[in-house]
Amino acid sequence: MMKAKILIVDDEPDVSLYLTTILKQAGYAPTAVATVKAGLAAMAEDIPALVCLDIMIPKESGISLYRQMKADPRLAKVPVLIVSGVVPSSDSDFNTLIAEWDVPPPDDYLEKPIKVDEFLARVKALLSRRVSARPLRNKSHG
Amino acid sequence: MAKEEPAGDQLAQPWSRSALLEQMPFNVAIIGRDYDIAQANTLFAEHFGEWQGKKCYQVYKKRNEPCPNCNTMATFVDGLVRVTDEVGVDQHGRTAHYVVHSAPLRNSPDGPIEYVLEMSSDVTETKRWQQEYQILFDRVPCYITVIDEDFRIIRANEAFRERFGDAQGERCYEIYKKRKRKCNNCPARKTFKDGKLHKSNQTGISSSGEKTSYIVTTSPLTRGEEKVAHVIEISTDITETRKLQQEMIDAERLAAVGQTVAGLAHSVKNILMGVEGGKYIVSLGLEKNDREMITQGWEMLSRNIDKTTALVKNFLSFAKGRLPLVRLVDPNAVALEIVDLYREVARASGISLRAELEPNIKVAPLDPDGIHTCLTNLVSNSIDACEMSKKDNRFVVLRTKNEKGALIFEVADNGEGMDYEIKRKIFTTFFTTKGGEGTGLGLLTTRKIVQEHGGKIIVRSKKTEGSRFRIVLPRKRLADLLAESKARAEKTKTE
Repeated sequence: MMKAKILIVDDEPDVSLYLTTILKQAGYAPTAVATVKAGLAAMAEDIPALVCLDIMIPKESGISLYRQMKADPRLAKVPVLIVSGVVPSSDSDFNTLIAEWDVPPPDDYLEKPIKVDEFLARVKALLSRRVSARPLRNKSHG
Repeated sequence: MAKEEPAGDQLAQPWSRSALLEQMPFNVAIIGRDYDIAQANTLFAEHFGEWQGKKCYQVYKKRNEPCPNCNTMATFVDGLVRVTDEVGVDQHGRTAHYVVHSAPLRNSPDGPIEYVLEMSSDVTETKRWQQEYQILFDRVPCYITVIDEDFRIIRANEAFRERFGDAQGERCYEIYKKRKRKCNNCPARKTFKDGKLHKSNQTGISSSGEKTSYIVTTSPLTRGEEKVAHVIEISTDITETRKLQQEMIDAERLAAVGQTVAGLAHSVKNILMGVEGGKYIVSLGLEKNDREMITQGWEMLSRNIDKTTALVKNFLSFAKGRLPLVRLVDPNAVALEIVDLYREVARASGISLRAELEPNIKVAPLDPDGIHTCLTNLVSNSIDACEMSKKDNRFVVLRTKNEKGALIFEVADNGEGMDYEIKRKIFTTFFTTKGGEGTGLGLLTTRKIVQEHGGKIIVRSKKTEGSRFRIVLPRKRLADLLAESKARAEKTKTE
């Protein structure tokens, strides 16, 4: 079976290295980029199975990347796991923030610092959701 | 009907008595001992109505019996001239106020009092005005006193009397401040001297010993004399307003503390992520006996421990805070220093850094170190913003200006600019767009220093077009700052 490709977008090299190492160990194929621009370039070449996205990225925020993904029919269905320090403490706060940013809610979010097991569990869940979602989409299109 | 003139009247006079009464500009009536109205002028008849054959109390007050404490009768008894305030009823039934002048009429200097001459003027309108003024004087929500040259209170309004009791004859400074000498910066003293209106902030002491803040306005009370003999002192108690202001500042401070703590938590989370990552990679390396991995993890750990040290240091220097040390400074000199400092850095990145300074700009009370920090932050941010842009002819310009009584420092660039999301977060603690390079404290510190100078920062920015940061420092506030700074220095010296 092909390794699932996961794109990490985070400006902190240490965070990228940490996530890359965890994902590699778990048998995925991670790629890390530090900017929104590089993230979009990477996705133009190859659509990943999942994006792990930080919000606070220099030059252009992670929210901007997320917005562009949701506006692009090719990328709109790619699940996004937000991994960020700005994630608020409660779900309701998070929803308020999402409303403020005026974007559709992301598939999942995790607060830094992450726990390895929890991170992997979320990644696995999001990837399986994507797999199970496919036939449904095909059906509706057909 | 007019009675026959009594025998012995000055018939030899060339004018008649009734002609004389007609010339008088008030209501005039001549009253006999039996309350009969012997004679009256036309004004009297027009005002009170038909009087012939009637008693004075019937005409004056529309009563059927004599008034208690009748002044006319008292004049018959003692022969004294009286001026009294009376309430009567005019011919239309309207109650009115009168000033009544009663005088005895004798046929000879030593003879008995034959009649009483009564001259009355309707003062209802004047009385109404007086009452309104009195209400205004008494009820305005501030303390009003009239003081003489010796600063003694000769009149006070109700608000003052309720608060301080009857302080007539006492000196204003004894009452307001419980002091024995005139106050410094006394506005009343100035008004006595120049006859003009003066205003100042004063701190008093209430009877319970609490500090009370007043705005005191003084104006001359003259009736055309050259010298000011009396001054009206109006004191408004602003203690509550001050208290509310302070509470608001405290609430803002608390909110800022909350924001700071949240920002600090965010930074700590990122560092912790690095520490966790380092730990994970070291463990993995040990497990796999992979020396390269162990080194990688260890370096990650070290980096993040260093970051912790840097963060704590920055945070402490921000949190420490200090009062601005103000002195008179040439704003252009401070601006030039910054341009000189950064010109090379900018040139190395292909950015032109220039100064556009208003010539002959007035010196201003500033904390030069504080302003230096602000301009350093703004200029270095602008250079960074230009570095992110791929435009030709990138520039950063530092301007000084004087506008509407304010000193302005302006740093503008044609760099990357900011979108809405970034713009609204720039004054948030630990917010940075510079990744690991920025501390996220620069603009926050800048704003803090500007606020300590009584000023504000106005930001204008457009994505890809550039930004303009404008520090606006009202000169009046700067002057206050200098006075405060001097007072503080004096206090430190005496301590």
